[in-house]
Amino acid sequence: MAVIAVLALVVSLTTPPQQAAGLTVEKATAKSNQQDGNEVIGGQPTRVTWEGRVAADEQISMLTLTFPEGTSLAEGASAKATVLDGLVRLEAVQDVQLDIQQAVITFEQPVASGLLLRVEIYNIALPAADGDYSIGGNYRNTTGEVVALTPSPPIAVISMTTVKAITLWLDDQPWVQSWNSVLFLRIFFNPQLIVASVPNLFDGWLHSLGLVLVGFPLAIPIGLGVSFLRMARLRIVRFISSIYVNIIRGTPLFLQIYIAFFGLPFLGISIDSYLLGILVLAMNSSAYLAEIFRAGIQSIHKGQFEASSSLGMNAVQTMFSVIIPQTVRRVIPTATSEFILLYKDTSLLAAVGVMEQMMFAKSMVASTGNMTPYIVAAGYYLLVTLPLTKIIASFERRLAAAEGSSTAPSSSKKRRRRLFAKPASDAPSEGVDADANPS
Amino acid sequence: MSVSKKVLALAVGMVTALSVALVGCSPAAPSSSSSGSSATSGAATPAAQLNLVKPGTLTVGSDCDYPPFIALEGSTPVGFEYEMMEAIAAVVGLEVEYLPPQNFDSILASVAAGTKMDVGVSSFTITSERKELVDFTLSYFDSNQAVVALKSKGYTSAMDLNGKVVGSQSGTTGSDWVNENLKAPGTVLKEFNQTSEALAAMMAGDIEAVFFDEPVAAEQVKTTYTDAEIVESIATGELYGIAVSKTNTSLREQLDAALSIIKADGTFDKIFLKYFPDLTPPTLKAA
Repeated sequence: MAVIAVLALVVSLTTPPQQAAGLTVEKATAKSNQQDGNEVIGGQPTRVTWEGRVAADEQISMLTLTFPEGTSLAEGASAKATVLDGLVRLEAVQDVQLDIQQAVITFEQPVASGLLLRVEIYNIALPAADGDYSIGGNYRNTTGEVVALTPSPPIAVISMTTVKAITLWLDDQPWVQSWNSVLFLRIFFNPQLIVASVPNLFDGWLHSLGLVLVGFPLAIPIGLGVSFLRMARLRIVRFISSIYVNIIRGTPLFLQIYIAFFGLPFLGISIDSYLLGILVLAMNSSAYLAEIFRAGIQSIHKGQFEASSSLGMNAVQTMFSVIIPQTVRRVIPTATSEFILLYKDTSLLAAVGVMEQMMFAKSMVASTGNMTPYIVAAGYYLLVTLPLTKIIASFERRLAAAEGSSTAPSSSKKRRRRLFAKPASDAPSEGVDADANPS
Repeated sequence: MSVSKKVLALAVGMVTALSVALVGCSPAAPSSSSSGSSATSGAATPAAQLNLVKPGTLTVGSDCDYPPFIALEGSTPVGFEYEMMEAIAAVVGLEVEYLPPQNFDSILASVAAGTKMDVGVSSFTITSERKELVDFTLSYFDSNQAVVALKSKGYTSAMDLNGKVVGSQSGTTGSDWVNENLKAPGTVLKEFNQTSEALAAMMAGDIEAVFFDEPVAAEQVKTTYTDAEIVESIATGELYGIAVSKTNTSLREQLDAALSIIKADGTFDKIFLKYFPDLTPPTLKAA
């Protein structure tokens, strides 16, 4: 009862006053028929939902909804009417007739006051020109009187989009039809959905890139700092920093994301989910980078330190003028691998509702029941990762040529997720492998 | 009143646990009431001739995260839908095997493909869109939508969430409702694999409210998310059906027949009232 009262209040606030109307039109909405957005495109099949509530002292025996001029019905069009008493569904509908102009619903028994009438018209196409369209109509009460309905709240309709126009054109192409007749091709490489996915997922791609392009640079100074702590003279400092590195590297990023997203709010800390995503990624990556940097620094020959100190350089000068410049070249391939891994790991944030590539693809898959958006998303990931792996490969080749096999970089830190095989010539002697170099 | 409800809930839980322990979920376990089924089963196709993913077994896909319809206790499914499927399968003469929790938004595609599961039973509202992909049995539940938010937020209607960041389970009619009705600029719908993930995000303050089915909302705010409330129940008059592949008409007919049988002999109502003591058992409807 309270719910009805609240609803009535809301309706009275949001709709224009309707004196003496025996049926209050509560809403009319249309489901989006745009695969790459949330708009209603005119001239294309959609599902219109209309709701009206019977006012006090009125008994309705027949309801007619009239559609705006220019409405058409697509194949398989149907109408469905439901009568609801609060949340309870009543079996009161006798017949529903649907044609291009109107839907006529007759009721077994007169629909009494306070009941909600809900009509869904499926595969109806609203007029093709953009604009706001209302559903009109009338009802007949038990005394035989026919009363006009107030026009429904308008449904905003946009005209054809480029993407929709292309997909419709594709629908008609014989080669597309024969292509799609193969189940595998239709489910994974649907041409129409490729066209719809590419522009839609582009936004997701930018979101994912944003996450990693902010997160990774943030991880570099943290990682460098931690790597210094890992090599500190004080045992306790080494111990504490190794706890940090081992806990982060020893637990799944997915778990860390869950802890951060669901745990922090309980402490009253509320951070924007996109920012929090960046922070978790940066923290995770910093632990891996710390080990990459540490291994890189420790791979520099001891003689370099001794030579520097014999030149009168102090520890800081040695580190920043002599050691780190040499380290940079050595760690670039592994650090780039780490960048690629982190970029791919942004997808994990989809599980906690951060808008990124996976999330965009997932919601398209959910609304289309087709896997093609995932394939397009894969394409977007590869757009970044493939060129980068090429770059790493050329870096490694140059490094190997410059330094000889004895100092060539060996594996990255996540062996099972390595992107490419270690070159056969790569001797596993004094590599940059973090795990092989206990401090 | 509340004490007796607690006792009832406890009893329900114990009975469930017991029946699960006795019946189990493994294909090796004998069907719970197959002895009674042979007498009642009068449908056209013998169970042995049904085209199933795993012969003799009704393989069920569900998200297993929608109490009181379906939930996991450890790794065994419990809930209204689980017991209903057990009863249906017993009539048809099949074992029931639930797959591990599936992503809700991919279940219907899996059912349509027919290679992984025979039926999708995950509180599926029968809609015209879904009927283009799969067939549905008679409906076994009348449902509605609800908006759940933290009590402290003080929302009073679904339209209060217009322009806010809200959540839903991906692929649900709740998602559809939000997309269709909340059009104000600034509205963001975050879709989650599981409703419980959306609720956790709501508790965490990441989203303002979650849109999902009213019976589940009522259960969740009563038992688990007691800091939250149903902001508004939205009358949508949805009907749940069991999703079956369009190519498996004989299975759908068998399931319809079995549903009618357990409805007629009172088994259905008994299970229904065990989980929904305050509701009236629905009639089975073709939708």
